[in-house]
Amino acid sequence: MAGPGGSPIYLDYAATAPLDPRVADAMCECLRDPALQGNPASAHVPGRAAAARVEAARAQVARLIGARPGSIVFTSGATESVNLAILGAARAAPAGARHVVTSRTEHRAGIDACRQLEREGYRVTWLKTGADGAVDPAQVAAALRPDTALVSLMHANNETGAVNDIAAVGQACGERGIVFHVDAAQSAGKLPIDAEQMGVSLLSYCAHKLGGPKGVGALFLRHRPRPALQPLQFGGGHERGLRAGSLATHQIVGFGLACDLALADLAFESARVRALRERLWSGLQAAVPVLRNGAADPALPGILNVRFPGVEGESLLLALDGRLAASSGSACSAATAEPSFVLRALGLSDLAAQASLRLSLGRDTTEEEVDRASRLLVASVRRLRAVLPAGALERIA
Amino acid sequence: MSAVPTTYSPLVRELFERLPHAGDLASGPGVVVHGEAMALDRGAWVRYEARIEAGRVAECAFRAWGCPHTLAAAALVASRMQGERVAAPSAFDAQGLAAELDAPPEKLGRLLVVEDARAGMLARAHALQSA
Repeated sequence: MAGPGGSPIYLDYAATAPLDPRVADAMCECLRDPALQGNPASAHVPGRAAAARVEAARAQVARLIGARPGSIVFTSGATESVNLAILGAARAAPAGARHVVTSRTEHRAGIDACRQLEREGYRVTWLKTGADGAVDPAQVAAALRPDTALVSLMHANNETGAVNDIAAVGQACGERGIVFHVDAAQSAGKLPIDAEQMGVSLLSYCAHKLGGPKGVGALFLRHRPRPALQPLQFGGGHERGLRAGSLATHQIVGFGLACDLALADLAFESARVRALRERLWSGLQAAVPVLRNGAADPALPGILNVRFPGVEGESLLLALDGRLAASSGSACSAATAEPSFVLRALGLSDLAAQASLRLSLGRDTTEEEVDRASRLLVASVRRLRAVLPAGALERIA
Repeated sequence: MSAVPTTYSPLVRELFERLPHAGDLASGPGVVVHGEAMALDRGAWVRYEARIEAGRVAECAFRAWGCPHTLAAAALVASRMQGERVAAPSAFDAQGLAAELDAPPEKLGRLLVVEDARAGMLARAHALQSA
C-alpha cells in the first residue's frame, strides 16, 4: 500500500493492516442507519436490530476459526482477549493449580499478564524457543505438572513469523485436562485455523490485523469442555457475564466482514503474499549481505525479519524514513535502543537485534512495491556500510 | 518492535542525509593523522582522518558506525575541524554538541565517542608537530 503523494511503501502489516474499504463502507453504513442505533442489549426493536447485526457478525468471526458462534466473546482487541484468557483462566482454576506454562517470545500482552500472575503467587515456566523461533511441543509436554492450570502460546510470532505446532500442544494439554490458550492475533486470517480440532481451549484474535477496525477483538471459548474463566470487568453481564460493556455494533460488523473477506481469500492471499516475501528476500540477498531471523517455513506468509551485518538499526530506519514504513528490532523508542527480547531469545546479540528490521506484507502489497522496497533497502544499506570504519564489519555482527 | 524512530532535529536530518566529509581523504600534500574511538556497547565507533599542513587541519574526513546522532555529530565535527590549529584547538565538549544537535540524554555516551575520536586525532597531530 502506497498512498497518494508519494507516501511510504507500507510494510508494517504485522503492526496493523490498513482498513479494507469494503469494511469501512459497511461500518459507515451501520453508523448511519437509523434502524441500528439501539443498544444490542436492549429488548426493543432498534436494540434487537442492532443485536441481529452483532449476531450475524459473531457467526462470521467464529467461522474464521472453525468455531460455533456461541463460542465467541467480543472484546476491545487481542490485548484484552489475551488478558482475559490468561488472568481469567488462571484465577478460575482450582485452588491447587497455580502453575502456568508460556514462552519467552510471546507478545507483551501475554508476557505482562503472566508476570501479573507471578506477582499474585502463581509459578510460571518460561519456555525457550529453538533457533527457528518456535516452541518444541515436547518441551511443553515436559513442562506440564499436576498443578498446571494453563498453557499459553502464540500461534505465530509477531516479530519473526515463526509458527508453533498448536495441534501437538493442544493434544498434550487435552490429554491432561489443562486449559490451553492461543494468541492468534497474527495468524487469524493468514493461516487456516480450526480451534476445536486443534485442541484449543481459548483463542485470542482481533480485527485490525486482517483489514478490520482497531478497537475490537474476540476470545474463543471451547464449547466442550468449556474452560472456566473469571471475568476481568463487571457491570451488566454482557457477553454471558464474561465481558461487561455495551457492544460497539459498527466495530463488530466491521470485524465480521473482515473475517469473511480474509477467509474467502485465505489460500490465494497466503500463497501470493508468501511469494512476494520470498521475492523481497531474494532481491535483498542478491544485492547486500543479509541474514534472516527465524525460519522461512513454517512461518506466517507475510513476515520477513532480517538483519544487515554492520548496519545500525536506527540509522537504517532514518535512511528509509518517509519512503518505507517498517519496524526495527528495538522494543521501544530508538533513543533507549532496547533490543527486541524476541530476537534476543533467538540467540541474537544486542547489536544484531538492534540491526534487525521486520518487513511485513499484506493484502495490498504489490510486486512493484516489493521491488521498490528492495531497491530502497539496498541503497540505504550500501550507503551506511560505505562509511563504516575499517574493521567494523568483523566486530559488528 | 518499534516503527517510530526518535525525533530528530532538522540539523541532524540534514547532516545524516548528506554525511559531509564521510569516507577517506584523497591523496595530497601534508601529513595524515588518525584518531579513533569506539564503544560497541554504547553503539558508536568513529574514526577521523586529517591532513595537517602548516600546523593546521587542512582537510578532515570520517568513518563511523552508529545511530543518526552519532553520524551527524561525526560529520559536524569533521566540518568544523577544517582550519583548526593543532597546537591550540578550539574548545569542544560532547554536552555542547548534544545541545546543538538536540540529542536526547541517552545519546550523550555516543557523542562522547565522537569527542574521544576528535581528541585522539588532535593529540596525534600535536605530537607529530612537536616532534
